Amino acid sequence: MSTIDYTKNEVNVKGNRSLKEIDDLIIAPLDRIPNMKFFIAIGFTSTMLLIGTIGIALSFYYGTGLWGNNNPVGWALPIVNFVFWVGIGHAGTLISAILFLLRQRWRNGIARFAEAMTIFAVITALIFPIIHTGRPWIAAVYLLPYPNQHDIWVNFNSPLLWDVFAVSTYFTVSLVFWYVGLIPDFAVLRDRATGKIKKVIYSIFSLGWRFSNRHWQHYEMTYLILAGLATPLVLSVHTIVSFDFAVSILPGWHTTIFPPYFVAGAIFSGFAMVQNSLIVIRKVFDMDDLIPIKTLETMNKIILLTGTMVGYAYSMEFFIAWYSGSQPEYFTFVNRAFGPYAWAYWTMFSCNVFIPQLFWIKKIRTSIVPMFIIAIFVNVGMWFERFVIVITSLSRDYLPSSWAYYRPTMTDFAILIGSFGLFFTCVLLFTRFLPSIAIAEIKAVSEGAQPSHHEGEDHE
Amino acid sequence: MNNSVDKNKNQIDLPVVKSESKPSHWRSLDEYNNTSTDNQLKVKANEFAEGAENFDIGSKSKVSRRKFMALMSASSAMVMASCTDYRDKGEIVPYSVKPEEVIPGIANYYASTITSDGSGQGILVKAREGRPILIEGNPQHPISKGKLDSNGIARILDMYDPSRLQKPRKTQGSKLVDSDWKVIDKEIIQSLNSASSSGKEIAIFTGKIVSPTYAKLIEDFKVKYPTTKVYSYELFNDNNKQIAWKKSTGGINYPLIDLDKAAVILSIDSDFLGTDGNVNENIRQFTTNRDFENPTSYSRFYQVEGSYTLTGSNSDYRLRLTPENYLDVVASLVNHFASKQGKPTMSGFKSLESLAKENKWKHEAASKLLSDLESNRGKAIVIGGKQLPVDLHVAINYLNDLIGASELYRKSESNFNAVSLSSDDEIATLANNVKSGNVGVLINIDINPSYHLPYHFTADNLKKVKTVVSLSEFENETSNNSNYVLGINHDIESWGDAKIRTGVISTQQPVIAPLYDTRQREAILLNWMNGGENYSEDIYHKYLQSNWETNIYPSLNRTVPFKEFWFATLHDGVTTFNETSIVSTEVNSSSVSGIKPTNKSNYSVILQENYFIRDGRYAGNGFLQESAHPITKITWDNCAMISPATAKELNVEIGDMIEVALNGKAIDLPVLIQPGMAEKVIAVDLGYGRTNSGAIGNGVGFDVTPFMTSKGLSKWIYTGAKVKPTGNKYELIATQEHHALDDEFLITEVRKNAEGEVTGGGETFARARSIIQETTVANYIKNPKILKEHEHEVFSITKDFEYNNMKWAMSIDMNKCIGCNACSIACYVENNIPVVGKEEVGVGREMGWIRIDRYYEGSPEDPIMSNQPMLCQHCDNAPCENVCPVVATTHSKDGLNQMVYNRCVGTRYCGNNCPYKVRRFNFYDFRDNLANGHYKTESTKIMMNPEVTIRARGVMEKCTFCVQRISQARQNAKEDGRTLKGSDVTTACQDACPANAIEFGNANDKDSRVAMMREHNLGYHVLDYLNVKPNVTYLAKLRNSDSLGVKSEHH
Repeated sequence: MSTIDYTKNEVNVKGNRSLKEIDDLIIAPLDRIPNMKFFIAIGFTSTMLLIGTIGIALSFYYGTGLWGNNNPVGWALPIVNFVFWVGIGHAGTLISAILFLLRQRWRNGIARFAEAMTIFAVITALIFPIIHTGRPWIAAVYLLPYPNQHDIWVNFNSPLLWDVFAVSTYFTVSLVFWYVGLIPDFAVLRDRATGKIKKVIYSIFSLGWRFSNRHWQHYEMTYLILAGLATPLVLSVHTIVSFDFAVSILPGWHTTIFPPYFVAGAIFSGFAMVQNSLIVIRKVFDMDDLIPIKTLETMNKIILLTGTMVGYAYSMEFFIAWYSGSQPEYFTFVNRAFGPYAWAYWTMFSCNVFIPQLFWIKKIRTSIVPMFIIAIFVNVGMWFERFVIVITSLSRDYLPSSWAYYRPTMTDFAILIGSFGLFFTCVLLFTRFLPSIAIAEIKAVSEGAQPSHHEGEDHE
Repeated sequence: MNNSVDKNKNQIDLPVVKSESKPSHWRSLDEYNNTSTDNQLKVKANEFAEGAENFDIGSKSKVSRRKFMALMSASSAMVMASCTDYRDKGEIVPYSVKPEEVIPGIANYYASTITSDGSGQGILVKAREGRPILIEGNPQHPISKGKLDSNGIARILDMYDPSRLQKPRKTQGSKLVDSDWKVIDKEIIQSLNSASSSGKEIAIFTGKIVSPTYAKLIEDFKVKYPTTKVYSYELFNDNNKQIAWKKSTGGINYPLIDLDKAAVILSIDSDFLGTDGNVNENIRQFTTNRDFENPTSYSRFYQVEGSYTLTGSNSDYRLRLTPENYLDVVASLVNHFASKQGKPTMSGFKSLESLAKENKWKHEAASKLLSDLESNRGKAIVIGGKQLPVDLHVAINYLNDLIGASELYRKSESNFNAVSLSSDDEIATLANNVKSGNVGVLINIDINPSYHLPYHFTADNLKKVKTVVSLSEFENETSNNSNYVLGINHDIESWGDAKIRTGVISTQQPVIAPLYDTRQREAILLNWMNGGENYSEDIYHKYLQSNWETNIYPSLNRTVPFKEFWFATLHDGVTTFNETSIVSTEVNSSSVSGIKPTNKSNYSVILQENYFIRDGRYAGNGFLQESAHPITKITWDNCAMISPATAKELNVEIGDMIEVALNGKAIDLPVLIQPGMAEKVIAVDLGYGRTNSGAIGNGVGFDVTPFMTSKGLSKWIYTGAKVKPTGNKYELIATQEHHALDDEFLITEVRKNAEGEVTGGGETFARARSIIQETTVANYIKNPKILKEHEHEVFSITKDFEYNNMKWAMSIDMNKCIGCNACSIACYVENNIPVVGKEEVGVGREMGWIRIDRYYEGSPEDPIMSNQPMLCQHCDNAPCENVCPVVATTHSKDGLNQMVYNRCVGTRYCGNNCPYKVRRFNFYDFRDNLANGHYKTESTKIMMNPEVTIRARGVMEKCTFCVQRISQARQNAKEDGRTLKGSDVTTACQDACPANAIEFGNANDKDSRVAMMREHNLGYHVLDYLNVKPNVTYLAKLRNSDSLGVKSEHH
């Protein structure tokens, strides 16, 4: 067994490439005509997207009745999907903002990609609050506080409205943050571009970046400020999403533990999704060196941590349900674990709590195949977590006379598939049109970039 | 005044600079100087707005026009993408000639009578601008007293049903085609003439006739066509009761009972609160003695039954028993009393004790029954179900005589039959005549022999009749076998009269001209009698009037001239007079000799009347199909109800198909496990499995009429059925989940002793969550505060809104509510609630605003059942309101929880957050979604109550406390210059409730009943611990038994 020298920083980027080589490597996918595999992949994801679009179109035409929603279960898959995708959207900003502030340099290789995923995940998520309403064509307008001669205002007491603001703010800030980080890279692209159209587009987006010292100074400051702005948002978005449930009076929803529990869960699922996607990207684009195992291992540690936090929340919910002495409350949780939706509950519990515990084992958290599979389980588990929260609580609430079992329909699944289609289509297009790894940032952590006492001698 | 002084001053000292900022454009000096006072501003604001005195400019939005434009353009860009068509459809044109009595916006009421189903109920039809929109009971009618059964309320839908026969039809080849009255009349008259000249029988086959004038018309018809014979048939009838009474006393009519004077009621499988007798009257009288304000005279009600009926669910002691043993109960009681009185006894029967033991009745039930009957001589009555065999009725009559029940018989009035129903033998004769070709013309009037008597009137048999004419509102199974199918008028398009009691005649008048090319049944016959040449709309009207003038009016000894009397009677819809009726009550004690016990073999089958579909005639009515069965909560189906133990024995679950073989016929039926059924008993509703009943009724349920032969205990009760599971599955749809009483509903397990008797445990959710609160009469008398003892005070941390004037509230007396569902159907009609159909009910999307929840308590073998009408509770702290992001649901200052349909975008958050789950979402345009838009046609559109918005797809809706009626009452009060009182408003459910269980009014009016009930010791609020402060108070049910279910009520 090799011993680890803790006196040295472990390298975040391997390969000892020159700056140009880094440029070439990262920009390569943008320059070459994609191969067949890419077209098959995008064909696949856009078919999924098409299925979802048809599902949504049919729902608009015939009504939400095409879904499985029923009388006690007013919210179902669309809301499950919404919370799931917002959750996925958490990792990006967490990685790029919070870890940036904490000077976690291993983040540099993955921040861009994770942020892009945030943007796409939030776009995907934002579809759902609108389409899940009974009259989406009106909801899109009425949910906004616009002045009108009726003097009708939106209801600021409603968590759904907080949601509208929280998610849209988060989206805007994430987008700006992402774009600001992209400016130096756009400049690189501009400088390398050969086609005229490409040049113009990159010129516009690079905002006249000339790599001057001043530019860098301003850039660093802006980035820092934006990171500071984005950091509380990472926590607030899912806190407010959890208010959609916690503010209600429904047993199983009305829980004070929801905000931290939702945030932990969101980071948990977000990291799993980023890890999954990165493993594919680094393989396909030969970026193993830029995203070394060590980075993935660190992410797995965070998955382990947040997974355990989620597990703690699950247990605490049970304890509080019993401790509260409230029969409906207590029943709701017993019903989750042993009622008609026990299958969903135990799927959630195993995927989120038991399986990630394997990451205690170093071998597992450093080998690609097991970690990939575990992260998939985490994503499945986190989707089921939302399913369990939304559906089991609604299907059996206060009056036993109103209890009903909920079954999703084909349309529900079509829309779920469509949401994955949209997300992955965006991701695939992103890898072709923008650098998946922040060129400027990766250079900053590549070997030789750091000041050293021995002119870089201590690198082998 | 200051104002005028200022103004003058300004005029003099020009220009005065007062304000820092000067407008660049100004219309007056006041504006320039910015010196205008509030009043002047107001005047300006009012310059163009007439009558807008309350307009307050200060409250307007502060957003600038420019800013508004910016925001507007952004949002309109969004709207453009989803522009939809909101153009006004159609035009509103004022009357050019105003019809008499019609004031637009004001409803007219007309008194009339339902005669088509033989019930003769007095009704009040509400019409708006000439369109009937609601049928209620006629308050002046001495029998129905303003109440109407579910079918009567739902009849309005039949009126506008698009599948009504709209033209007379005749067969051409093998198909029915639309034809013309002239042609058809001519052809039929020819057939009638040739039949009567060739001596062949003309058979008029009709349902129950309640109209004396109709009866006379048929007599006249017989004169014109001497070979005419009249047969009248009802699938459910009281012939057995009638025959038994004749056997016992020699009298023709069995007596009516004063249930309101009965202290002890023993019902032998009589569903007198559901289908047996005059139900509305029964409910009213029965609930009179279920008065929480008068607990010492609370009646005790025992029900012996094999099935589980609505009536049984309201009993204090429900004694489950297989139908073969009903006679044993009666006989052992007879023996107990007869031996004491030295009268003849009945031998060979089981004793009450052994029955109690065998069937695991509550240990005190049998002895209590005996002592109650003994100690309440003259105040106790035994009622037998109309479906029971004659022998059993004879025994019951004898028993009633022994316990002195004749004191409860009504001496002054009795039932009246305009035409007696035909006996089974007479029907068999008709069938034989049809089969042998002796019948020349068969005229089916509002009857469906091919469906109700399938073994007699097969297609082949009917082919032997030269001319088969069917008169009906809708096509039915018999139409397929008829040469002519003639559409007849709906009840509210017809003239007529009805007499179902001595001393009461009610009149029927049309409220609307026939919608289609139909005629009323009497007019069709009359026209044929008159030769068919000169038909006019009013021929029967004239006939009716002249019959009243010459035959009825003289016998009433009125002093007013006929015209005046006639119009007054039409106005009231009913007239009463003195008529002596002779009720013989002398029971011949030897009538019971020779009655033998019946032996049970295999399974028993009970064929019962459905509460809504009745004999199948209402199968095409969506309101009735969608009404949840009061016991099983099944909609859009019938099923085989069996007990849990029987299900175990057969190894079947809910929804498994079983094959029931009886008298050589085998029918597959889906199983419903019904707690509380007697063992080895199968109960099935008749009237289902219609094959020609329009888009709504076709193929709903299973037809079990083929079982009906003469081989049973009676036509409705059979023994010796063989049952086996077929292995198939069927989806039964209910509005409540099926897991009726499994462990999921129990918090503590049921405890039993060695004999299998339940001793305790079995605490239910309904009790633990304070949904259902009940106590026994004895405990309540002992301690009136018994239910308040465990109450906790719930307080708000915020300041509550104060309701200073009106505060609308409702209370529901659970002692009176029997769970009949009339409220729910009335609500459907009043509030334009759509019917959603079987599939949609199956996924939990039924739209009813008020529903009856059902809870069981006790052991699954023998539970007690509690009903609970559940509707929007209009909570003070309504949890639905704060979660709506677009303020589409709000609270009014008179305490109503309101829905703003136009504003609702359909997030359904309100529905999620409603602990009572009373909000209903329009997942589809349900009218369009059901059976290809069956209820979205021109005709059904005009049925809609114009005061209630029709909700769009994607919008949430719920009970409004009939806000349209509140508005109307407020308007009326304002017009009359008085303050609005709570009693000015009645809700639709309240009006419909036959037991008057629902009270509505102003909670702040301390003298009102609602306020009294809110404060009452028995009053409670469902889920009160949530502090949502509901405004529907439930009055806890008192049960006149020793204990409740299995749990003692001290937690």
